[in-house]
Amino acid sequence: MIRYRIVLCFFTLIFGVIILRLFYWQVVKADELSSMGQTQYGQSIKIEPIRGEIETSDGFPIAANKISYLVYVNPKEVKEKERTAKVLSERLSIDQASISGQLAQDLFWVPIARGVDSEVKKEIDGEKIPGVGFEQEFERYYPEASMSANLLGFVGRDEQGNSKGYFGVEGYYDRLLRGKQGSAVQIHDALGRPILARVDNDKSFGTDGSSVVLNINRSIQFIAEKKLKEGIERYGATGGMVAIMDPKTGAIIAMANFPSFDQKNYQNYSDDLYKNTFISNLYEPGSTFKPLVMSAAFNEKLLKPSSRCPNCSGPVTVGGYDLHTWDDKYFPNSTMLEVIQHSDNTGMVYTAQKLGLDNMVSYIDKYGIGKTTGIDLEGEVAPIIKPKDSWYAVDLATTGFGQGISVTPIELLTAFASIANKGVMMEPHVVSSVRDENGKVTKIPPKVLGRPISEATAEIMTEVLVNAVNKGEAQWARIKGYRIAGKTGTASIPVEGHYDPTKTIASFIGFAPAQDPKFIMFVILDRPTARIYGAETAAPIFFGIAQDLFTYYGIPPEE
Amino acid sequence: MRKPALILSILVLIIVGLVVARAIISNRISTSGLALGQAQDELVRYKTENVIIKERILALSSLNYVSSAAASTGFVESKTNFAVAPAHAIAVAR
Repeated sequence: MIRYRIVLCFFTLIFGVIILRLFYWQVVKADELSSMGQTQYGQSIKIEPIRGEIETSDGFPIAANKISYLVYVNPKEVKEKERTAKVLSERLSIDQASISGQLAQDLFWVPIARGVDSEVKKEIDGEKIPGVGFEQEFERYYPEASMSANLLGFVGRDEQGNSKGYFGVEGYYDRLLRGKQGSAVQIHDALGRPILARVDNDKSFGTDGSSVVLNINRSIQFIAEKKLKEGIERYGATGGMVAIMDPKTGAIIAMANFPSFDQKNYQNYSDDLYKNTFISNLYEPGSTFKPLVMSAAFNEKLLKPSSRCPNCSGPVTVGGYDLHTWDDKYFPNSTMLEVIQHSDNTGMVYTAQKLGLDNMVSYIDKYGIGKTTGIDLEGEVAPIIKPKDSWYAVDLATTGFGQGISVTPIELLTAFASIANKGVMMEPHVVSSVRDENGKVTKIPPKVLGRPISEATAEIMTEVLVNAVNKGEAQWARIKGYRIAGKTGTASIPVEGHYDPTKTIASFIGFAPAQDPKFIMFVILDRPTARIYGAETAAPIFFGIAQDLFTYYGIPPEE
Repeated sequence: MRKPALILSILVLIIVGLVVARAIISNRISTSGLALGQAQDELVRYKTENVIIKERILALSSLNYVSSAAASTGFVESKTNFAVAPAHAIAVAR
């Protein structure tokens, strides 16, 4: 009996040890063993999400994705190295010696070229060269070539080699467009050949990027770019920009910059060209700033359009500086309506002094000058506005006619749009909606930034600006029959403590139809040489684009 | 003694039946993996073709292409603005 019990205890003990050992391997070490097993039969691979598209308001993908191929070779499988190098060199336009060098390496996988078109891939495939393979990739494709390049930005690579958007829409909405990277285990057979990809769980699939739909109207963008290019060439400017916005919603309908760059070959261009100058460049606005100062004076009921200017008979001296009009012509006792019509600097000095420093600083703030507008583009900057106690008398006077103060073009466009929109200032916005990979659309509603002036002031200012177009310096270029409110601008360029007398920034800002504006447009030419004034350069470009917009929108003449 | 023999016979029959069924089913599904693989390849091929065709359509419908094609076929930009003013109602039916 005792022997029986000893044997039973022995076997029970052995059984217990086995149970414990099994528990150790099956439960305690389960994860570790599982991952060790995985490395023997497979390896983790990244699933790259497909980047979302960028569409214009008509649903046309202005930034889409195309299939391209990475061409690689396995030198160990290549039998005729000379022929292989020759064929690849001819098809891929790469130096034959360079490919021969790659083929001589003692490796299993050597990349030869990236971004190869499907047509070229087909041609190489047709040669049936052993050891040459292809990896399918997606790359950005721009059907409209470099249209809106500065607005869209471009897609490059980050430090880890992953796709990343830079500048413009690509940069601002990068996280949405990029999607989420997934991972899977690529199982292979005993010879190392891939069998199938096993995905660990649903979440590891990742998600493709969302697409964004822009407020940009492709036809208007095309017109704006074409006219701007022609204008830059005609007036010998070093560059230029134009933006068109719906003043009621803040929707950016078009935005163009020149010189620009080609997003596909962005690396061949200087970094300076990537910037969207409409949101990233500061400049002294000159006369296009005058309507903001004048409307502030109207809003405070300090002046009326019929108020007379007592010091408009000659140059004005402020703080030891003589301030002249742009053409040294003077209009004694002119009304405020005429001050804007003649773009009279002395009249604006009077207006600024009447407004006073406190009001001037307050209205600059109300118009959003010195703050970013919040436009959904990467790279927006804002100027620094001096604190009130650092202003001299001459600063107040020159700010009246838009010198001595810096703004970004988008700030000025946004502020000016409040005159067109009954005193309400809207946030400029490029994207109208976002569509995720399941087709769910999220609209981005218009946002009110503030109400710098009353509706009544906006109406009065609109009439003053219509008068400026009809009777001002740019009247020769205006479109007859239409009521357009606008203002020319010719700003001097500050260089080392003084203004360069030969170089200017010429501009024109305006909206139409004046009573119920469909668009507000701002045209800027940088250093035009054929003529230097806004009325002679930027204004005709403005009216050229406006003419096409009237046709496009089907807006009939009012008069 | 008859009962165990009957049970054994039934068990043997079940085993034989299951073996035959397994052989038939295995035979049938043995090629479905290949078919699945082929279907997968077809799917990838069509998806790729779709992307390539979409790329061509976008290139041909781009404004840059359309405007240059229109210019080369003799179309010129119209300089006249023609717009029809909206009609005003002259009477409203009650």
